Amino acid sequence: MSLLKVRDVVTAYGKIEALKGVSLEVAQGSITCLLGPNGAGKTTLMMSIAGILRPRKGTIHFGGEDIAGRPPHAIVARGVALVPENRLVFPSMTVLENLNAGAYQRGDKQAIAEDIDKLFARFPRLRERAAQQAGTLSGGEQQMLAVARALMSRPKLLLMDEPSLGLAPLVVEEIFRIVTELHKDGTTIFLVEQNAHMALKVAQHFYLMEQGKVSFSGTPGALAEDEVIHRAYLGSSKI
Amino acid sequence: MDDYAIGVLTNIGLISFLALSAYLLLITGEMSFGQQAFFGVGAYAGGMLTAMYGWSLPLAALCAMALGALAQFLVGLPTLRLRGLYFAMATLAAAEMARILFELFHFQRQLEGEPVGPDGSQGFRGIRWVFEHGVEPLEYLGMVYALLALALVAFLLVERSRLGATLRGVGEDAELAASLGVNVTRVKLGVAAAAGALAALGGVLYAHHNTYIEPRNFDIMLGVHSLAYALIGGLGTALGPLLGVVLDIGALEGSRVFQGYRMIVFGGLVALLLIWRPRGLLDERAVQWLRRRFS
Amino acid sequence: MSDLAQNTLDGLFLGSSYALLALGFTLIFGVLRRVNLSFGPAVMFGCYAATWVNLNFGAGLVLLALVTILGSILAGAYVERLCFAPHRGGSAIAAMVASFALWMQFEELASIVLPRHLYDFPPLHGGAPLAFGAMTLRIESLVMLFAALLMCALLWWILYRTRFGVAVRAVIDQPQAAQLAGINVPRVFMLTFALASAIGGLAGFLIAASHEQVTPMLGMWSTMKGLLAMMLGGLGSLPGAVLGGLALGLLEAHSQWFFGPQNRDLIAYALIFILLAARVPWMTTRSAS
Repeated sequence: MSLLKVRDVVTAYGKIEALKGVSLEVAQGSITCLLGPNGAGKTTLMMSIAGILRPRKGTIHFGGEDIAGRPPHAIVARGVALVPENRLVFPSMTVLENLNAGAYQRGDKQAIAEDIDKLFARFPRLRERAAQQAGTLSGGEQQMLAVARALMSRPKLLLMDEPSLGLAPLVVEEIFRIVTELHKDGTTIFLVEQNAHMALKVAQHFYLMEQGKVSFSGTPGALAEDEVIHRAYLGSSKI
Repeated sequence: MDDYAIGVLTNIGLISFLALSAYLLLITGEMSFGQQAFFGVGAYAGGMLTAMYGWSLPLAALCAMALGALAQFLVGLPTLRLRGLYFAMATLAAAEMARILFELFHFQRQLEGEPVGPDGSQGFRGIRWVFEHGVEPLEYLGMVYALLALALVAFLLVERSRLGATLRGVGEDAELAASLGVNVTRVKLGVAAAAGALAALGGVLYAHHNTYIEPRNFDIMLGVHSLAYALIGGLGTALGPLLGVVLDIGALEGSRVFQGYRMIVFGGLVALLLIWRPRGLLDERAVQWLRRRFS
Repeated sequence: MSDLAQNTLDGLFLGSSYALLALGFTLIFGVLRRVNLSFGPAVMFGCYAATWVNLNFGAGLVLLALVTILGSILAGAYVERLCFAPHRGGSAIAAMVASFALWMQFEELASIVLPRHLYDFPPLHGGAPLAFGAMTLRIESLVMLFAALLMCALLWWILYRTRFGVAVRAVIDQPQAAQLAGINVPRVFMLTFALASAIGGLAGFLIAASHEQVTPMLGMWSTMKGLLAMMLGGLGSLPGAVLGGLALGLLEAHSQWFFGPQNRDLIAYALIFILLAARVPWMTTRSAS
């Protein structure tokens, strides 16, 4: 069953169309991965789903409702949370304040406190730094904070845009371990990644995006891994 | 044409120099709240040269333009690395300093038993070169517009040229321009000097049209107005700022209908216009559309 | 020596109202990344509303303060809807020029409704100043300082002890992350504007009551002082706004004493130009859109 259905979405920056009619689906309870070279439009797609960008055409169905063009806070309210590219924490707020900000729309103080405890259990390094300003954290810690903050809204669908970008291999492994854990706990995850190798290890389904359109859809193993990696980094060599 | 109409038209021409000066800076990405200071420099310098030292108006105007260019260059130099609002605030501070300095400036000569020259906040009266040389209002109007036309031709030529593209490139993304080999510092300083000269030219003509100037003439209101004219008229072409000036001074001054609540009407229209067209009436898109239509 | 102390004291009192003006400007700048040229005029609108009420009905100080604050909020809402909401993701210049256009509207409206050059405003305190040895202390100044402190405390409470405050600080800190955290950013803009206008309104009331008069110049004057103080304290920093306001007050009091009133402003502008040109870090860290 599809949790997210994107149909023929066109998103443009002025006259430049970054998304030229993208269609894909994310199945409930799955880890779905989006691969592709730089400039393919992956981040634009994530921003369009999260409401930061407004698609010019097309629909984005989430839980049976078209959320395309709705403001970001309305989309968070419906259960979609985005961990953006380059993390985006609140640099001058503490780790704890960052987490509370993630729960902004919730009113259940008790449950929020429990969630924070659970997240600290999952990310022990964040607990150590709870009172520290987020801007002073390392790249890997900020990434974990960004993920934790997104989780504070108890999303049904977690979007992640290049979570391993700029991180050391050990940290990358940790991130993907967390992704698998979240998946086991029932969160649907839609993941954009440059690191095709790791992504294919965890995903149930993946899409390849090139030049604003989806160019391939299938399960890991449907394409030879080196072909996938080739197209993910360099784009299709078919002219 | 009656004297009132001549006066209004002359005013439009004079302020247009100021608007063009603000426009030039805007297309290179700098927002200046201080062009009125260079307008004032031109006014005072030109007035002093003709009224106190007997220079001819053309010579005085050239000298005033040079001084205006120098003054804006000197302000531009320390503020080169300031962006956006910080640059705007620096120009505001500089312009207010200039205005206060005008208020403190007492420098007079005795001519035929009368003191002539700037007298602080009392102003500078007796800039009578135009009258002493029998220049009729209509002739003066013609002169102003001839000079304005020259300036416009220069602008239109630059806009079609590589220099124009460079200027707009710097305005859109200075870092990108620099990475493409543009000497951004030289561009910005050159533009500063040109803008200063333009404003000063308007100033010297203004001083001789009014025969009397005072520091209050060159306050922040004038500066923000000139910025507004440039933006409202449109940033796509040098005719844009002129359009802005014409709309304000011409249409609403000329029509007595809104006497008394002219600013309420105009202010509201400007705000609404900017919602519809954030880069003015003759913005880049409109200019491209017009060019395609007529070529 | 006692002159120095007196000037310092006077400077602090003066600075407390500058601090409030700067706070209002800074809230708008920090949250919306824009300068609102109609901030002073909106404050003037509130003061004029109170003047009109006073002229026609006579009223107590508390009521006049409320009218000023409400008038400023109303004027501020008008400006926000027309100048800032429509240009949210777009041009900062367009928003600023639009706010300038509305400034013109406010000025003309004021001169139409209350055409005289000067109107009386009831004083904060009718009595004689207190004497402390060689120094004099106007009661009005004490009230002003106290009111300003109270307002700062209230603002601090709002920002650090309420949910709205979390949202405001989040938007100031990282606007896109705030969107992603589910904060309704357009609504934060609107409410911040109202808060900033209220603070400005209080400042306007205190200034009018302490000078016992209102003039049409109040609009431009408030804008210039607020901008100057905000720049001195570092654009976008709230504690900086308070410090900048106090610093401006002290600077003005002392330079006026040594150099006279005209030079006083000259020195303030020169200082700001130098600080900006030197790109002193605290002044230039916030990106202006």
